Amino acid sequence: MQLKKLNTAFIVTTGVSVIVFVYLVFLGFDEIKTLKDVVKIIASILFPLPMLFFVRFLLIEHFLPQNTDEYKLKHQKPATILLITSVVIGVLSMQAIEWVTGQKLEDHLVFAHLINSTTISSYVLNFVLYNNLRVNGILSGILLSLAMHVFFLTA
Amino acid sequence: MNPIIQPPKPRSNSSKRELLFTFQSIIVTGLLAFTAIAFFFHFDLRIEKGIKVVFAPFLSVVPLLFILSILRDLRKGFKEGNYTKDEIVKFCLITAGITAAFTGVTFLLSKIDALEILLAAIMAILSVVFFMRSKIKDILGMSIITGIAEGIIVYMIFLF
Repeated sequence: MQLKKLNTAFIVTTGVSVIVFVYLVFLGFDEIKTLKDVVKIIASILFPLPMLFFVRFLLIEHFLPQNTDEYKLKHQKPATILLITSVVIGVLSMQAIEWVTGQKLEDHLVFAHLINSTTISSYVLNFVLYNNLRVNGILSGILLSLAMHVFFLTA
Repeated sequence: MNPIIQPPKPRSNSSKRELLFTFQSIIVTGLLAFTAIAFFFHFDLRIEKGIKVVFAPFLSVVPLLFILSILRDLRKGFKEGNYTKDEIVKFCLITAGITAAFTGVTFLLSKIDALEILLAAIMAILSVVFFMRSKIKDILGMSIITGIAEGIIVYMIFLF
């Protein structure tokens, strides 16, 4: 059962990564000109996978909490606070980095890929294997801030 | 009565770790192949003597097979329980070190200008990975393999 979950986790992670990859490739299609860009994008998509395997290798113990109402109730508030804080911190730091370096995230799509694939992979892994609501809050916050940054805050 | 669906065997933690280790080595193999193809097309490597390309892999595969056949297992295998905090910190540091080292090694690989030498080098790294896979079945092997994978990826993202 647990092994099945593990396999599901990695299949889902890979699937989501592939979908995001295809989407982002369409998004930045004009900027992919040489083989070098393709290699960079593939590398940034693959970046989280070895790390996730390693983390899983270290934290082999399965501490999936019971998904009861009590557990949810207990972690509702801290998870929401963490979500809001990480959204605020994420948006602010991305704005700050853009302002300091004077460059746009769109010009460096590799970094967007990197943040995106790392967060999504750990999100899926956390969701399927550990179901830690606080971590869920932080990761959702990072994804949300990335999305907000790309959609609203860039001219 | 013979049940059609066998109840799943209870998996121990060490067998799960072994599975992860196998996955990781498959990833590294894929990454090495990816590196070879990317470098070959991007740098337009030339082939000087076709016969050398054929024999390049043997340089490292033959010693590997010999070593694998004569050597006993170097490590006791995967641990069943959890790792302590000290061990985790130590092996994370090892992984970070190997990552840095392999970023350098991949940089050196990109300086090679002939296909047969690149192939020989890649096969040598691959042999090291398989050696880890079969003889150093341990957290040490896992952190080295993770380092190799991350090193290649870091080079590809930031330096290529």
